[in-house]
Amino acid sequence: MSKSFGFDTLGLHAGYTPDDRHGSRAVPIHQTTSYMFNDTEHAAALYNLEVGGHLYTRISNPTIGVLENRMAALEEGVAAVAVATGMSAVFLSILALTSQGDHIVASSQMYGGNINLLEHTMSRFGVTTSFVDPTDHDAIAAAIKPNTKMVFGEVIGNPGLDVMDVSAVAKVAHAAGVPLVIDATLNTPYLMKPLKHGANIVIHSLTKWIGGHGIAMGGVIVDGGNFDWGQNDRFPTLTQPHFAFQGVNLWEEFGPAAFAMRVRSEGMYNIGPTLSPTNAFHILQGIETLGMRMDRHMANTAELVAFLKNHDGVAWVNHPSLPDHSCHDVAMRQMPKGAGSIVTMGIKGGRMASQAFIESVELASHLANVGDARTLVIHPGSTTHSHISADAMKAAGLTDDLIRISVGLEDINDIKADFNRAIKIAQKKTSAKGS
Amino acid sequence: MQISINDADVFVSTGGRVADEHAPVLLFLHGSGQTHLSWLLQARFFANRGWSVMAPDFPGHGLSGGAPLTAIETMADWCHTLIMAAGHKKVTVIGHSQGGLVAMELARRHPEYVAGIGLISLALAIPVNPQLISMAEDNEPAAFDAMVTWGHGHDGAFHDHPMPGNSHIFMGKRIMASNPEGTLAVDLKACAAYADGEQAAASITQPAMVILAGDDSMTPCKQGEALAAAIPHAELVKIEHAGHMLPIERGDDVNRALRRLFEQTGA
Repeated sequence: MSKSFGFDTLGLHAGYTPDDRHGSRAVPIHQTTSYMFNDTEHAAALYNLEVGGHLYTRISNPTIGVLENRMAALEEGVAAVAVATGMSAVFLSILALTSQGDHIVASSQMYGGNINLLEHTMSRFGVTTSFVDPTDHDAIAAAIKPNTKMVFGEVIGNPGLDVMDVSAVAKVAHAAGVPLVIDATLNTPYLMKPLKHGANIVIHSLTKWIGGHGIAMGGVIVDGGNFDWGQNDRFPTLTQPHFAFQGVNLWEEFGPAAFAMRVRSEGMYNIGPTLSPTNAFHILQGIETLGMRMDRHMANTAELVAFLKNHDGVAWVNHPSLPDHSCHDVAMRQMPKGAGSIVTMGIKGGRMASQAFIESVELASHLANVGDARTLVIHPGSTTHSHISADAMKAAGLTDDLIRISVGLEDINDIKADFNRAIKIAQKKTSAKGS
Repeated sequence: MQISINDADVFVSTGGRVADEHAPVLLFLHGSGQTHLSWLLQARFFANRGWSVMAPDFPGHGLSGGAPLTAIETMADWCHTLIMAAGHKKVTVIGHSQGGLVAMELARRHPEYVAGIGLISLALAIPVNPQLISMAEDNEPAAFDAMVTWGHGHDGAFHDHPMPGNSHIFMGKRIMASNPEGTLAVDLKACAAYADGEQAAASITQPAMVILAGDDSMTPCKQGEALAAAIPHAELVKIEHAGHMLPIERGDDVNRALRRLFEQTGA
């Protein structure tokens, strides 16, 4: 039998071998805080990173470990660390590379939570960020300073839906000796694997398409193992003696997995945003069908975009698959299977009409999430992105009337009927108020 | 630690510890296209149990400078130089795959420096498919893919790693890709050209152990058993449900066996 496996096979099998004692075919939920040591030597060895295994669930857990191995396999990374949420994955990634006085170059067109973390939280601890347009490669190059530790962005910006040319930005970052860290939540490894395009670290909110059922929070950091942390003294957290583990030099002792080891050996030890094993199990159920679900998400998205584009009541529609989208060519080259299932639009009549639309849908759900099996709608300007500044909103491509749609897996005719009805109601309400 | 050998900087992993000068010395030798990271689960383990660990990157591999060495015999002499440069008089040498050929040749050429020998995933010879060498010469990723996918057993192929979150397959590919272009081809040609396995095996008088993987498709068990039979008094250890990358696939089992050898060698 071949030993190389396709995406769907890895989604079902990677990271798990049924154990001899019970033979459980499904991944068991190891709902435990801690693990029996064989003897004192075994305990000491686990605490000192000498052997594989688990010592305390804050650090690692067998069920979470399967999820980590499966995500590493799907993203083609050398190692992964799963955490409680996507935001904690972003935070631990920053923590692994930066110290007081360091600097980050980040996309100005990102999820509001990412922008807030960088602008308002990290800055309080002396880590500053320059926000730049991710499609302006000269601006990225110009923003990198000697103390810059990463370039950070999203493949598909949320909710502006700009698409980063990952290969081009990776070249810019690498020329300056800096890794490219990518939040790939909106594309999933099924649509695009950023590591294959030159990115070095990939982050996901597992809560979204990867889990897919809207029942479990989670995040993951995948280490591409493709960045030379030892090329100079820029990354002391990886190349100088660790504060613990007898001063281990992670770059020398763990090589390509040094970054992931830092995340686990500091982020999970000292901060501890641990994923619950039960949530890891739920997310694994989602991964088992990720490929098939993404195909359906893409098919429904294509049909809905065409429907909205031709609808009289719709002022504008935005999706990277549309030929007039500014990043259309990049999107098609990087993501030939589809450019994600987030669509944004405005209803004729402006913000009031858009709000009326959201309040009128019946099948779609009005809530703060994306990537659910169900179709979701929200007005980001008053919700998910309401805490960022007006300038940041503008930079993120957030207009007053913008509705964000996360296209689900329902029968597409039912989604279209629901939207058609809600658009008509919204316009009636708006014209009634306007008359 | 860094040591200069033949005007090239050589990186030697000590398992994160500097042992005292009286500690018995273990010299771990990696295989084709690999680095000291093959010994991820051995270096720190033994370094923290009273042994002095030396796991070098051969020239042109990993963190070592210089050009890759082109013959097993040259590699063995290089190891001898390394042992002397480090100020040691005797080591127990443990070799994985190509590193095992080097270990045997070191024991044959410089027996006074070898207290014992551990050979993992090895046969009397390592013939290499010319097509694989050709792909490696062209630095085709397919060469790394072939080495890594065929180098692992079931669990490794399915990314089930003893260290939580790690992937055998992609770690293996990255390690190979991180070496300078052509390194793997030089190693494979050195393996293919080495024809003195039987003589080297027969000359081993030190305590010896051969550790084989039940599902090894690169140096199949049957050929490994012939190697063990050719070494006087060698102990044969067979570990089931594992592939060629045995030290990383079954670290605990390998360490348990090696410890028994080290107790015999007094190392």
